Amino acid sequence: MTSTLIIEGLRVEVAGKEVLRGFDLLMRTGEVHVIMGPNGSGKSTLAHALTGHPGYKVLGGSVRIDDVELLTMSPSERARHGLLLAMQQPLEVAGVRPIDLLIAAGVDPTNLRQRMRDEAERVELRPEILDRFVNVDLSGGERKRAEMVQFGMLRPKFAVLDEIDSGLDVDALGAVARRLSLASNEWECGILVITHFKRLLQELTPTMIHVLSEGRVVATGGPELSEILERDGYEPFRVASA
Amino acid sequence: MRWGQYTAFVPISMKIFADSASAFIADRPDAAPRQLAWTAFEEAGLPTTSDEVWRYAPLKDFDLDRFGVVSEPATRTDSAFAAQLCERAGLVVRVVDGFCVNTGKGLEGVSVEVVESSQSLAGTSFADRYRSDTFAILNAALTPATAVIRVGAGVNVEEPIVVLNVSNSTSSFSRTQIELGRGASATIVEYFEGGTDALVVPLSEYSLDDNSSLQLITYQRLDQSAWHVARTTGFVSRDARLRQAVVGIGAHYNRSRNDAEMRGAGSENELRTTFLGSGDQVHDFRTHQMHTGARSRSTLLSKGAVADQSRSVYTGLIEIEKGAKRTDARQTNHNLLLSPAAHADSVPNLDIRENDVMCAHASSVGPLDELQRWYLESRGVSREDAERLMIQGFFYEMLANLPAELAELVERDVTSVLATVNVVTP
Ligand SMILES: Nc1ncnc2c1ncn2[C@@H]1O[C@H](COP(=O)(O)OP(=O)(O)OP(=O)(O)O)[C@@H](O)[C@H]1O
Ligand SMILES: [Mg+2]
Repeated sequence: MTSTLIIEGLRVEVAGKEVLRGFDLLMRTGEVHVIMGPNGSGKSTLAHALTGHPGYKVLGGSVRIDDVELLTMSPSERARHGLLLAMQQPLEVAGVRPIDLLIAAGVDPTNLRQRMRDEAERVELRPEILDRFVNVDLSGGERKRAEMVQFGMLRPKFAVLDEIDSGLDVDALGAVARRLSLASNEWECGILVITHFKRLLQELTPTMIHVLSEGRVVATGGPELSEILERDGYEPFRVASA
Repeated sequence: MRWGQYTAFVPISMKIFADSASAFIADRPDAAPRQLAWTAFEEAGLPTTSDEVWRYAPLKDFDLDRFGVVSEPATRTDSAFAAQLCERAGLVVRVVDGFCVNTGKGLEGVSVEVVESSQSLAGTSFADRYRSDTFAILNAALTPATAVIRVGAGVNVEEPIVVLNVSNSTSSFSRTQIELGRGASATIVEYFEGGTDALVVPLSEYSLDDNSSLQLITYQRLDQSAWHVARTTGFVSRDARLRQAVVGIGAHYNRSRNDAEMRGAGSENELRTTFLGSGDQVHDFRTHQMHTGARSRSTLLSKGAVADQSRSVYTGLIEIEKGAKRTDARQTNHNLLLSPAAHADSVPNLDIRENDVMCAHASSVGPLDELQRWYLESRGVSREDAERLMIQGFFYEMLANLPAELAELVERDVTSVLATVNVVTP
């Protein structure tokens, strides 16, 4: 069954400054949406606000999955309604193992260790890493792959992947893109990727690309948009927003 | 009678205990040094909360006459946990009510002996060494004997050694000495259980010869009615490394003093202590890292949580002797309050007589890390479960250096205890 994620007029304040200034997006499960935009334009702010990060204050707007409002929910309720964030800089949680996290998150414990290992293999993560505490003593690239293992186990309706490609080597990049692409078929996962590079999009065909500038979507288009951005940069879009 | 500093004062309520102690001492082959220690104890008397180092102890509940000194160990079957722990050990040394009842089957390069000795590994007698510590003096007088575990020079013991310390009677004064020869390495678990309505006063000493390495876990799971007053001291020689984790869960009053003397150049001590307070427990952790060797290092991490009406105190002293150049000593203390009625204190102290050193301490009493909690919640873990996982994590971190199957066993045990305690932040 198709689900819909609707973000309307989302305004978010960080450290006293309004960073997202009326963000809109509509996507369905099975689709791949991409957000691109210059550094500091508010991409991670969007990701954090969607998942109820305590440092981000929502000033207005609405975020709904199938007409159920998420903004009034706790972070874990949002996750249980099918929203997952893979972080740009995944946090270390000392003393907590990934498997215990997943079981507490409601993942079926049957054969879980093996399923995690299979998932790790898909993104070329050494399985021993799964026995370490969450993200502790992991390299940047390993953290990203570890987030992908959680993604594969949690099977969210909608996943927000904040620069999942940064820090990954070329081989891992391909593996992650293929994994995401497969997920959009396997359980019709709706995928919202935040990225600076079109490399990720070679194996993960986007339904739509949105350009974010100064807290608003200033352009939306098909895959060709990433080519234009690669060639001309964000400058023309900044003018458009002014 | 004149009340004054020099008055020997034995409260009437100590009579029953004193009689059983005298009978016990009279029967021992080395009665003389024990009698000296006992006299020293009587002269000092029991501490009161006006003594700075006993301020936090619920001494008003303490009545020595509830306990008696036993002349032989009482037998009872071990807990299921103890049995599982022993299955995973290469060698098990069994101590019941302070008596070493079994020195285990042979393990290559390791010897276990039970000796009548009044000599501390510090080089002096026990009575001298622990003169200012009332309960350690009691141990000097009343321990049945010392269990001495020696690991030969150059021996690398792969399988863990377990010292299973069970209290079935109303008192236990066990004494353990662990000696590692040059370049030796070993993992040793000292596990404590039992102790219903008992006074449990273990004293342990560890000596690490040059270049040796000891990984030590002290896991205290006594009954919630026990009085546990423990003291351990490590003597660390040149380039040797003592890594010690102390996990305190049981006892009504859990006092754990863990000292280390970095005597050799390049010696190292890593000490991690953790506790979970519930009911009206008091956890009283004391540490003293003494640096005399140059380039010696100590890292101390104390992390604990107090629930219900329980309280904790951490008192840590780092002492650096003149000449211990380029010493690096750090202590960190984090306490978590899980109920408005719980209380935690932290008293870090530095005493430094050398300029060329690096020294740092940090302490905090506060809630769990909000961002880490959010991270777990954002995966679909409820707030309550996220907090439980994080607190459980305090303990799991302590066990991270253990062999995996041993760590798993202890983790399961810790988790089962946490399930019975209200660990959600208010
Ligand atoms: N915790 C914070 N405290 C203060 N300012 C912040 C914080 N987080 C974000 N900001 C500010 O908000 C703005 C948007 O940041 P955000 O992280 O959303 O950018 P981004 O689009 O993800 O950038 P990048 O491409 O570099 O990841 C920036 O100006 C940033 O400095
Ligand atoms: Mg960002």
